[in-house]
Amino acid sequence: MVEPKDYDNDFENKWCPGCGNFLIQKAMKQTFAELNIPPEKILFVSGIGQAGKTPHFMKGNMFHCLHGRALAVATGAKIANHDLNIVVNSGDGDCYGEGGNHFLAAIRRNIDITLLVHNNQVYGLTKGQASPTSALGMVTKLQKHGVTSSPFNPLATALGSGAEFVARGFSGEPEQLKELIKQAMNYRGFALVDILQPCVSFNKINTHQWYKDRVYDIQSIGHDSSDLAKAIVLSLEWGDKIPTGLFYKKESIPFHSRVGVLQDRTLISYPFDGEKTAAAF
Amino acid sequence: MKTNITVKIGGEAGQGIQTIGTLLAEVCHSAGLFTFSIDDFESRIRGGHSFNLLRISNEKVIAPGHIPDILVAIDQRTMNLNKASLLSDSLVILNAENKSDSTPDIDDNSCSEADLEGCGSSNILKISLNRLAKEAGGLITANTVAAGCIFAVLGTPFEMLKELLVKKFKAKGDKIIDLNLTAAQKGYEAAGTVRYHKKFDWKPTKTDTIVISGAKAAGLGALASDCRFFPFYPMSPATGVIASVVPYSGKLPIVVEQAEDEIAAVNMAIGASFAGVRSMTSTSGGGFCLMTEGLGIAAMTETPLVIVNSQRPGPATGLPTRTAQPDLLFVINASQDDFPRFVLAPGNPAETFESVKKAFYLSEKYQVPSIIMLDQFLATSQVTQQNFFKVDKDVERFIINQDNSSKVSSLNGDNLKSSDSSSQTPETYKRYAITDSGISPRALPCMGNIMVRATGNEHNEKGEISEDATNKVKMTNKRNSKLAAMKQEMDLPEVFCPKGTDNQLFLTGWGSSKGPIIEACEILKSKGVNIGYIIFKDIYPMDGNALKKVLENKKLIMVEQNSNCQMGKLITQETGISYYSSILKIDGRPFYPQYIVEKALEIIG
Repeated sequence: MVEPKDYDNDFENKWCPGCGNFLIQKAMKQTFAELNIPPEKILFVSGIGQAGKTPHFMKGNMFHCLHGRALAVATGAKIANHDLNIVVNSGDGDCYGEGGNHFLAAIRRNIDITLLVHNNQVYGLTKGQASPTSALGMVTKLQKHGVTSSPFNPLATALGSGAEFVARGFSGEPEQLKELIKQAMNYRGFALVDILQPCVSFNKINTHQWYKDRVYDIQSIGHDSSDLAKAIVLSLEWGDKIPTGLFYKKESIPFHSRVGVLQDRTLISYPFDGEKTAAAF
Repeated sequence: MKTNITVKIGGEAGQGIQTIGTLLAEVCHSAGLFTFSIDDFESRIRGGHSFNLLRISNEKVIAPGHIPDILVAIDQRTMNLNKASLLSDSLVILNAENKSDSTPDIDDNSCSEADLEGCGSSNILKISLNRLAKEAGGLITANTVAAGCIFAVLGTPFEMLKELLVKKFKAKGDKIIDLNLTAAQKGYEAAGTVRYHKKFDWKPTKTDTIVISGAKAAGLGALASDCRFFPFYPMSPATGVIASVVPYSGKLPIVVEQAEDEIAAVNMAIGASFAGVRSMTSTSGGGFCLMTEGLGIAAMTETPLVIVNSQRPGPATGLPTRTAQPDLLFVINASQDDFPRFVLAPGNPAETFESVKKAFYLSEKYQVPSIIMLDQFLATSQVTQQNFFKVDKDVERFIINQDNSSKVSSLNGDNLKSSDSSSQTPETYKRYAITDSGISPRALPCMGNIMVRATGNEHNEKGEISEDATNKVKMTNKRNSKLAAMKQEMDLPEVFCPKGTDNQLFLTGWGSSKGPIIEACEILKSKGVNIGYIIFKDIYPMDGNALKKVLENKKLIMVEQNSNCQMGKLITQETGISYYSSILKIDGRPFYPQYIVEKALEIIG
């Protein structure tokens, strides 16, 4: 059996003490252990930001790519070999800002990967500038008079774009988060888990306690995750109360089942046959 | 004896100019003739002015024709644009409707007598394409009427045209075949006894040649290299490369995926390559700009990557459907900082096929990006070539075979010479191990117990982020140490030195201008001017010392389609040799041999 500690490595962790990423990473390790996936059978693809460093601090195959591009790289890898378990670690800036177009395209392709967005509503790695999910009016060192754009709503955008597995977790609710990641991993298709987390260094508004006071589990109030209309209504709720849990899940046809040549076997597994190729010319 | 006839068919976009050109080329091919066909068109789907320029010869042709021997003016503008340049023995087929014949539903776009003023030739055959098409059964057959007329003046037996039309429209049924045969017949008869004075020997001939574009050759080269994934974003004149592999998607294990943008296209190619599937994307200069960051991550993670850059004039949108060679220095230097890469510039479709194969081989062997330079001229010209499709039985892969899973069966062998893969264990494996060659053992993710860890950050041998100063120097040197062996993989330029003279002048070019340069040398020779040529195909990295020996004591006249003589500058940078003069063409139209001849004569004096 795989244990969470099988994912431990000896590379020095570079996150700030108290960072929400530690709890997210812990939930990941527990999930993979419970699903009995050993680190050599998982591929982490990540972009730039503190979230993008997650794979460095644990065992597993890893492609730590450029800012915003994790979903594009993951898409290519999944098309090449759809037997791969691919987990993408991205952040609010990486995924919803720099990589926004790839986010929309990954939803539309329904590429069978698990996307974990470490959403702390601020840029951590570059020291505290506004992110796409920062609140309107939030003051930062560079947005001195407050953020002038409205926040991006990842869940509503995903639902409106046809995503069929949409969830929100919170780093401070590790048990729920683990279950959401597990369901995302088991889902055949594109699975978004937006994860609220504090940034202890740069976000003094959306703190651990701030979230703690607001989040509630939609499953505990009996939300039916097959109800898209209800999911969309919930995705628009943000303020004194912030819903978390599995918003929407529907059985879907992932990309590799939409492409004829990938239906029976992985692209990489086909033998090369020079004579057949020449004959096709 | 060599006979050459250049046919120019001009009209509006949407009038089927290219269709007529293709039909002509196909019939010529069935007669064992050689053709070189270029399409000149505007960035629009309807209207404007476009033409097909088809050079037909009974011997191999390497460059396009220019001044038309036969001009087919489907619209007035074609006549106006060409009449002054016509030779006295040129023949004009003029689409001239008799106005009174025209019914209101026929879009009349024909010539009047006044439009013939100033025409260089008086051999004008007027026919009414629309009226004849209508008589044949439908306006849609106007192209076929035109083709029939052209074949008549070329002296082609009608049977040969008939045979091709039957073959071409077979799938569409007898009704469509009959319609087109009638239309062709009408056009053929409309020529009466008018024949062009130069003649070919028309008879069905089996040949070992094919008519192919550079774009298609690139696509087939990729398939022959076991490339299975083609992510792309549409862009002229690069889309043809991807379009050329689409027909094989049912027959071979390939996935063609339209990406959301060029950034996604290149990153998808990198992701697939990292996972072990050979991938190629194709773009033009503007798209290459977006792919530049991808070039950097491929280099930093040492992931193989093949990109086709089908060049067009820029900057920005520039001339979308025209040709140029303006991206050489860009692709050699693209990305922040510096890293090794291959840049190849084939000169014709046959070379394109081989260059693409070589690009895949080298990219994987050295774990660096390979870039193939095409341009609109090479990508879209249809040229008769000897059948060159040599597909190897196996392709050599440079990947550690972890051999504990059926999934690796497609990766034949471990040809990694830089390290002994049998000694690789999950504990000792280092993706970026320092080796003498600079090439580290490449394993694939999730194919065994080895864990593959790659990052765009500077990293140590294990792929961990490292900001250590000594490590930075070591890893940069490791990547750059591949260069010495990479240079040895590059063919030196092809040099033609005319015999019996001590002439030191050489027309020097690269990529697609090869044919026009060589033909220009032949024309100059016929004028008593002996001049050599130097053509670069494998461009970068350059072995400066070896190249210096080749170029020493030679006076180089650079022949390039850019405004700043990029190859000339590169030669100077790598060898210290300065070029003597240059012929630079920047109008977005291809090099015609005659143009190079005129400019060369001006330089020689």
